[in-house]
This record gives sequence, structure tokens and C-alpha cells, in this order.
Amino acid sequence: MRDYLLFYVNGKEYRVSGQDAFQPLSSFLRYKLDATGTKVVCEEGDCGACTILSGRIKDGELQYKPVNSCIQYLYQLDLAHIVTVEGLTPKGELNPVQQAMVNCHGAQCGYCTPGFIVAMCGLFDKQKKASECQIKDALIGNLCRCTGYDSIIKAGLAVEVDKVLSLKQLYPSQAILSQFAAHKKESVCIKAEGKTVFLPSSIKDAISFKAENKEAVIVSGGTDMCVNMNKRAYDPQTIISFCNIEGLSEIKIEKNILAVGSRITLSELEEFIKDRLPEFHHLLWLFGSPQIRHAGTLAGNIANASPIADTPPFLFVMEAQLELSGSSGTRTVPINQFYLGYKKLDLKADEIITRILIPLPEKQEIIRLYKVSKRKNLDISTNTAAIRATIKNGKTEKIAIAYGGVGPVVFRLPKTEAYLTGKELSLPNLVEAGEIAVSEITPISDVRGSKEFRNLLAKNILLKFFYDTDEAREAACHK
Amino acid sequence: MSQVGKDIPHDSAVGHVNGQSVYIDDMPPIKNELLVDFYYAPVSHAKIRKLDLSDAEKIPGVVGLYTYRDLDGENKFGPILKDEVLLVEEEIEFMGHPIVVIAAENRKAIESAKKAIKIDLEKLEPILTIDQAKERKMFIGPVRRIKKGDAEAALKKAEHVIEGRFCNAGQDHFYLESQAALVYPGEHKQLVIHSSTQNPTEVQEVVAHLLGLSMNQVVCITKRMGGGFGGKECQAGHPAAMAALVALKTGRAARIIFNKDQDMQVTGKRHPFQNDYKVGFDKDGRITALKADLFSDGGAANDLSTAVMARAMTHTDNAYYLENAEITGTICKTHFPPNTAFRGFGGPQGIAIIENIIEEIATYLGKDAIEIRKINLYGINERNVTPYGQRILENSLPEIFEKLEVSSDYKAKRKAVEKFNSQSKTHLKGLACTAVKFGISFNTKFLNQANALVNIYTDGTIQVSTGATEMGQGVNTNIKQLVAGEFDIDVDHVIVMATSTEKNNNTSATAASSATDLNGSAAVNACQKLKARLTDVAARHIETLEKDILASPTNIIFENNFVYDNRRPDTKVAFKTLVKKAYHERVSLGERGFYATQGIDFSWDTGPEGTAAGQPFLYFTTGAAVCEVTIDRFTGELKVDSADILMDVGAPINPGIAKGQITGAFIQGMGWVTTEELRYADDGLLVSHSPTTYKIPNIQDIPKVLNVNWIDKVNPVNVKGSKAVGEPPLVLGLAVWAAVKNALAYVSGGEIAKLHLPASNEEILTRLHQFLTAGSKKELAHKH
Repeated sequence: MRDYLLFYVNGKEYRVSGQDAFQPLSSFLRYKLDATGTKVVCEEGDCGACTILSGRIKDGELQYKPVNSCIQYLYQLDLAHIVTVEGLTPKGELNPVQQAMVNCHGAQCGYCTPGFIVAMCGLFDKQKKASECQIKDALIGNLCRCTGYDSIIKAGLAVEVDKVLSLKQLYPSQAILSQFAAHKKESVCIKAEGKTVFLPSSIKDAISFKAENKEAVIVSGGTDMCVNMNKRAYDPQTIISFCNIEGLSEIKIEKNILAVGSRITLSELEEFIKDRLPEFHHLLWLFGSPQIRHAGTLAGNIANASPIADTPPFLFVMEAQLELSGSSGTRTVPINQFYLGYKKLDLKADEIITRILIPLPEKQEIIRLYKVSKRKNLDISTNTAAIRATIKNGKTEKIAIAYGGVGPVVFRLPKTEAYLTGKELSLPNLVEAGEIAVSEITPISDVRGSKEFRNLLAKNILLKFFYDTDEAREAACHK
Repeated sequence: MSQVGKDIPHDSAVGHVNGQSVYIDDMPPIKNELLVDFYYAPVSHAKIRKLDLSDAEKIPGVVGLYTYRDLDGENKFGPILKDEVLLVEEEIEFMGHPIVVIAAENRKAIESAKKAIKIDLEKLEPILTIDQAKERKMFIGPVRRIKKGDAEAALKKAEHVIEGRFCNAGQDHFYLESQAALVYPGEHKQLVIHSSTQNPTEVQEVVAHLLGLSMNQVVCITKRMGGGFGGKECQAGHPAAMAALVALKTGRAARIIFNKDQDMQVTGKRHPFQNDYKVGFDKDGRITALKADLFSDGGAANDLSTAVMARAMTHTDNAYYLENAEITGTICKTHFPPNTAFRGFGGPQGIAIIENIIEEIATYLGKDAIEIRKINLYGINERNVTPYGQRILENSLPEIFEKLEVSSDYKAKRKAVEKFNSQSKTHLKGLACTAVKFGISFNTKFLNQANALVNIYTDGTIQVSTGATEMGQGVNTNIKQLVAGEFDIDVDHVIVMATSTEKNNNTSATAASSATDLNGSAAVNACQKLKARLTDVAARHIETLEKDILASPTNIIFENNFVYDNRRPDTKVAFKTLVKKAYHERVSLGERGFYATQGIDFSWDTGPEGTAAGQPFLYFTTGAAVCEVTIDRFTGELKVDSADILMDVGAPINPGIAKGQITGAFIQGMGWVTTEELRYADDGLLVSHSPTTYKIPNIQDIPKVLNVNWIDKVNPVNVKGSKAVGEPPLVLGLAVWAAVKNALAYVSGGEIAKLHLPASNEEILTRLHQFLTAGSKKELAHKH
């Protein structure tokens, strides 16, 4: 068992043990390494000023993804190569992204700038050319208060792409990879000041540790838990970090079922389902930011049990199954029965979610997903909804409706579904269905919207669905 | 080669992109440095019965706990009225009000100390709305009035009258770098303060005042801010004073860095306003009279509220001529953190009133609002005097409207919007063109002064220091270009130094958009004096080099890093050779420049019936914007399809920086009027206190089409023909709001659609719902 973390920052190896392992990467960079180019503003992954590139082994090489260093604790970064803004110019000259930002007035006060530079370098590390649309998508997770973004987009378009050196070129990975390979097989356990963090290398190790330490909490992407640690004095004493675990990173389709390993990040999922589930793909585009999606997982979004989580409504109408593994074996639970109450799960203390099994829809099925939030991108939902319908001969043969943000958990609307089943999906029927839907929900007023607003949305979503599916319903009628 | 007017990068751009730019929290800690934080009021209004620090004192790592009793000076301060206390004495007047300053060795000790402080409170009823303050007659300062003509009589005679109430909410500055200060104690109670402030002189003054020091014992240095937007004009003084208190008491360096949540919860915001108006107009929409009573939420102390109100009142006319006007301004005292400066400084709030009125007149008369605006625009030779008596010179508004209407394709857009709205069942579009006329100069006359220090070194390079502070807006780059331009040398030979009260005393805040105007002019003044001396040296020197000519300073030309006599243009002396020569001749190569804006004056009681009058502004920065929006009828979601902005910003010193200011300000204004919603709990707690819940514009929110331009015009009264540009474009964000209001007019059936500001998706959907409920039911019945 290894008792230290091993990772690289800008090509240099670091070994960290003891109390130091229990801090966000941003603190380690700024206060231990004096690498103050990485800025901290919100400490909750919502501004992107602390963006760094995290390189992890995938398909035998290091793949770098932008993530928020304020909500990445060091124990999540074992066997990663971190590249910060300081590491993007090893020779001291400006790289083409930086030069374009200088030339185009992409920086004003400068505080958000390192985050933008890192995110943009991440984009150009992945692809040689980027359209305006891709540049904007890559920078959703970075807030700027000065420029109004226009000059930053123009800088992105002005990057001399031929001169961009990839991170692979900047940091030859052979030595790092062999060092990582040598350290990968062992699990890691670090104890300090009464706290323990365990980094299992296998599912088996994870389950047996969980069985012995029932209070242990799992940190995988950490995009929500680390916010609670930073902001709400959440201080779990025993942590299982999934960053090195083998066997949970598979995503595949088998017998028309999409099986998503619980270490699959939201961005990996997004990539995989692009053509197969366009509606869900679009919803994932609205989910947080690239930084969040590169860290967060679908399993985390489910286990976190937030009533305003973005993915559960879809999983509810698809009647997804959760594969849970514990010391007494593996079982599956329908997601519709997984939430027992506010933040209460049908998950035993020694169980972990290993896979999410999502039956794929038939071609003629109509699926629409809705997320209403104050701001379109990088916002937490006010209301969410998923509607899945099969139309036959102009009538609703089957319909499933799930709402989020209007009760303590995400849930289906059985009365509304029953009302609409067998009926034409006409406007008057959907108006009536809206009245029934409102009777099935219990929204509250909070920072994201009033109860009245949520009730109104609950009705309106059904009307929006009517107009959104005009063509699809038409097509279904003619089949 | 002229350096002025060139598009060169921001002087900090390289450091910004490679992470080398230093902010307060990036400065390396020195030995023994202490962390500073504070325990603040947990309620909005209460009396402190008992404060017990005994447990907190015992926590390992806690070095000091200080209350108001530890302030050796007077615990009463404020930039205009001395009505604010740094540390609560007996009565808590807002949630977040500091009570105990905590100095500790580490963060953990601070957090434990906060938990260990025991406080016994007698809760009092807080005032949390303007209406509550009005009811209880809780006001700050006097009620102010502007009066022109006879509004009362003109309203009686008016063909049409609309009256109503218009409310705008506040806005958080959301500078990325939260409030921060680092204080180094020195000998004889001298302090060096590094502060993220727009106003180093005020920090110096406030710290000296609160700690019982004299101003010459305190130096305040500002290298840069990670954004300011007005939020660090006054309120940077509080953290600086707390750290200074610790440094003074302990003799150790002391650093205070607010976290984002704390910053948002304890600092003041843009002032919310609630305004009652009554407007008279004729059948064409020409305004004949306006009565407007402005009420702002000042928060618990004045801060800059009286000045903000002055700007709101002097901007209620905006770009429109008012024959008869009566405008009053009252500041309400509430139990929120004192509201403060925010880019626009009351201007946007005043302007919003009349832009709203114009949309309403248009709906009332069934006309396109752009026609109402054009008919009311200030004239060139007539109809050009403001309600406070200032004549508008060089008025470019008619030209801007004429050009923008064409360049934005306004008429075609209007047609397309009408067609879209008649067909779409799912979305609704709106279109609006709003204007800005923003007065440049501090309303307070004495603030319109600046000094600058220019030092030329023997290698021909130059350091410039002024009172201007760099918060990203590019003032240092502008000044660098102005200085290089005076000697016509490369900009790379000029560095603008960190702002320090040691070099520039008694400076005004970097505010009112005027930092370049004032400090740039002072720097130019210093350069001109240096240049005169160097010209003499050059003339004499060239006389020695050339036969047959006598030294003649009037023939000396500075050009492209060289100096020559225009009678012998081939004999060029390098600027740095000339400087060396001057040094050897014992000619002073340092100079202090000064500038005071001429021809401005304003008072609150020299107008008719003791109302306000004068020429508060040196000139106006003007512009207009056309915005088109699309609203989702079912969710209230808003998209800005296009924004066409056209301004008169004079001849910019750096066009790239000017464009960045316009774009950035516009998007910030758009945020204020749309998604930036401050939500409070019933007890006054701000619940949207971080970016998770407080939504400033994201990169995906900017208009799909964004055209930013300015007309070709030189401003005759300001440095190098330029105009101030920091604040005015923020006001154009109102075009987005007005477009939403216009969209509602398409479904209101002729009724005036009320709309609060911000027009969040909830606000929009709620308003839409009022109009659509009846209508859509009818429509449904009809369809099926």
C-alpha cells in the first residue's frame, strides 16, 4: 500500500503525503508552489479562473482536460500531470494562444485571463482548428467581467494554429507514463489528523474498504462534494477517492442498452452519445461547463441526489437501471425506485454504483428534455423535465414524464401520464395535463425561482413540448 | 509616428496571459505575516447587548481580536457624510457589518474564532424596502430638486399623460478579484498599504482617520485591481483599515483577502431605485412635461449615495429635451450594506426612467419608439438646454441616430419582428433603440483635478506616475501613449508605475470615466514642461553641430525617437542623446504636472426656487444601440439576437482599448437588466452571493451579432480630442431591456406592459403570462 500521492505539475514530479493531501489543488499551487498564475475567485467551480489542464492516462497516453483546480482535491489527482498557466510557456515566450489574446485585447483586468488561456490551450491541444462556436463552447466555464467576451472570441479565431505546440510536444510523456505505470497497481492510503483517504486500485478493494468503513464517502469527480467542503464546512473524515480505480471506465452499447461505467465523465458520455441520443447530448452541453463535465460523472450526478440534477429526469423516463455492487454481490435497481426521499438512496453502506444501464429508445419514440435556468449555460436548473412518448394512430400509446426542481426528489408524474395515455397530444389535452401536473408537484420558492414561477413552468413545458414535437407527431401519424 | 490613436496591447497584457501579473493575494508572504478576517453582524438590525470574546481569544493561532474600542482614531467616516462606522459599536445596522477584527496565524484559527465569538443581540425591526423607509421617513441627506419651466402647469395642459412607477434592482460588481489589502508596518507608526482600490488617497485618509494617524504616516500603493467597476472606490477602505489596525497593533505584516461569498454579502451594490413619474406629451409623442420623484436605496450609510443620486437626477433627461421638468431625489436609509458606486454611478438608473417612459409613450400612441426618441432628441441649435441649465455643445446625437438607423437596418428589422410575432406560436421578438448622453466630470467640482510625476532617466526612458489606478480599463496604456506621444518616442520607452500616494498626493478616485481625461492631461502637462526644457537644450546643442544657424527652440521638432531643427532636418539627435546632454547640463529631468478641469460649476440651490443649476460637465459622451431579442413564450428565456452600437467617443487614444470598454460595459449593462438578480431572504440575507446563484453574462449570452462602432469626431475640449468611455456604454445595455418591453407590447393588446428591471426569465414569463392567459385560451378554443 502506497502512503503518498504522486503527480506531476508542469513536468515536475511531486510526492505528497499527510495533511497536505487534503487540500484543493489551487491552494497547493498558490501557496506551496508559489505558482500564483492560477487564480481563485469562487471556490465552487463556477467561474473558471482556477482552470488547469489535468493530464491522465487514456489509451496509453496522457490526455489533457481543463478542470477547476479549486474543486479538485489533491487526492483526486494521483497519477495525473497538471499543467498550469505557468507551464504553457516553458521557454518564457508567449504561445500562439497567449499572443492572440495580447493582440486582440482579450485581457483587461487580467484576473480571469489565466483561466481563459488554459481553457483555450486545452481546446487547441485537442484540435488544430476551432470555429467560433467551438471556441465559445470551450469557454462556457470561464467568466469574464471586463471584456464582454467579444475580444476573447476574436483572439480564439486569430490563434496561429500552425504554431501551436501540443502538450505532448511540450512535455514528452514517456518518463511520466512509466513512473505512473510503476505506481498504478497499488492502492493508496493516507492518514493524517484523524482523516483517512483511500484510493482503491480495484472495485474489490473499494468495496471491502467501504464495508469496513461504512461512513466513508466516495469522491469521484467531486464537483459537488468539493464545493461543500470549500463552502459548507463539509469535512468527511474517511474518503474513498476513485481516481485510480480500474474497471469502471467502460462505456458501450449492448443489446440496445447503453451501459455507462460509473467513472465515465459527463464529457466522455457526451462524446459517446453524440449521434445516438441527440436530445440528451444537448442537455449535457447545458450541463455545467466543460471543466465540470471533464471531472463530474453521470454516477455522481445520480448519487448526489439533488432534485435539480440535470440528468435524472431523462434517466427516469428511460427507466434506467443502476447496477450496484457490494460485499454481498451485485444487484440492479430501477432509477425510478432509487430515491427514497430528499437525499435518501436505496444504496447500502457497502455498495457502490458500478454501472448505469440505459435502454435506448426506439426510432419512432419522441423524447424531449428541458432545462430552465436563470442563465442558459453554466447554471443550476430552476426546473427540469423529460418527456418520452410513443404515438400511434394519432393517439398517445405510451408517455413518461419526469420533473425535477418541483419537489424533494426528481419524480414521474403518474396522474398526468395516465391522463394523456390513449389521448391525442393536442393543445387542449396538454393544457389540461398541465393542471394535473401542477397537482402532482410541490415546488418551493428559493433563490432560483418562486413557487409560482415553477408552477407556471410545469404547465408551460407541456405546451412547449406540443410545439416542439409538431413535426415529430406529424411524422408518427403518417407511419 | 504618432503614439496617440494607435491600437497597441494593454500594458499588462503579457503578464496577464502568462500568469505573471501580481495581485494582492499573489504577493509572497513575509515572515510573521498575519491573516486578517472579521466577525460580522449576523442580522440586519439589532442592538448588541453583550459581546464575549473570551473563548475566541484562547484559540491557538489567534493573535488578536479587535473591536471599535481598539481604534485610536474616530470610528466614524465616509467620503461625503461622516455617518459610517467601521466596526459596530452598539447598534448593528446591516447584516455583514464588521464587529470584530480577527488576526491569526492561519485560516483554521480564524474559522474557529468566528465560531467561538459569543454575541447577545436585541433584535430590532429592519427596514428592507424603499417603501418601509418612506413610511418611517428614514432618509439620508436632503431631498434635492432640479426644476425647469413649470412641469405642473404643463402636465395640466398636456394632450396625453402617463403616470407610473418604475423600479430597478441593484447589481453586484462581481469584480473577479475580491476586496484585498496587505499592510506592512514601518517605523514610527508608519504604514505601507497595498490595496486593491480605485482610490489610494481615500484608503490613506480613511486608515489615518480611523487609526488616529496623520496622513503622512500612511502610504497606499495600488499596482492593479482584478476589476473594480466602482466597488473599490470607497469600499476598499474597510478591508485596508482592518489590516492596518492589525499591523499597527501587532507590528506584523497583515493581509486580508475577502472570499467571494463574503465580499458579496458585506459590500454595497448598485443602488436600487424606485421612481414615480408623470409625463405629458402631444399626439406625436413630444414630451411637454416630466415630473419624476427618484427614491434610491442608500443602505445603512451614505457612502456615495448623495453623489449617485446627483448623477441619476442629472441624467433623467438622458438624450431627450425636456421643456418642463421637475425632478426630485430622495435617498432612503435601509438596513443593507451601504450601496456605493457602480459603473454609471446613478446615470443608468436615471436614464432607465426616461427610456422606460418612451417605450410606454410608444405603446400608448401605437408608434414605433424610435420615432418618439427622435422627436425628443436634444437639438443642435435649439432645444439643447438640460433641465439644470447646461447647454449641450457639439451634440452628435442626431447624427448617431441617423447613421445607426441605417447601419443597423432598423426598419427592416422592425418589419421582420412584426412578421415573426404574427406567425410564431412559440417565441416573441422585440426591438428597441435606446440612447445615452453621459456627462463627463465629477459632479463635485473639486474632484476634477489630478497630478502626475514624469521622470526621464539618462538612457532616455521614462517613468510616469499618476493618481489613476489600473483596473483593467487601460488607463495606464492610454497615459503611456500620451507621454510617448508628447516626445514622439516608442511606447516601450515609457512605463506607467504603480499608483502610490507617496508620488501623487490628494488624488481623486479613478472614477466617473475620467481617469485618462484628468491624469492623462496632468501627465501631458508635465511632459510639456520637460519638453520645453529639452527643446532649449536641443536648440543649443544643434547650434554647436551645425554651421550658420543660431539656437532656435521654436524650430525644434521631436520625431520618431529623434530631435532636429527643422531648418536642418538631416541633423538628427537621438532622444536619449539629448536627455544625456540635458543631464550633463544640469537641467532637471523630472517634472510634476497638474490639471484642473476648467469651466465647470454646479450647485444645488442656485436654480429657480432654490433648485439645482450649473454646468457640471465638461462635455457629454453619447451613443445609441439597437437591440433585437427573442423570448421563449413558455419559459421566459431571453436571447439577444443582435446589438448594434454607435457612439461618439471622440478620437480614442487607443481604439482597441476604447472598443474593449464599450463592449465590456455594454455586456455588463445587459447583465444588470437581464440575468443579474440579487435575491434576499425576508431577514435581509443576500442568498445569491456567489456565481452559482448570481448570474453575470456568460460567453454564450452575448448577442449573436454584435457591432461596435463610433463616429469620426474629435472632442475639442479634452486631451488629444478623446472622450471618456468607461461608463457611458453600460447604459446602452438598456436597449436589451427596452426590447423585452417592446416584445411585451406585441401581446399586451395596447395596454402598457409593466416590466421591472432586471427582466429575468421569471419576470418576463410572469408578465407574459398576465397577457397570454386570456388570449391563449381564446386562441386554443379557436384552433380546436
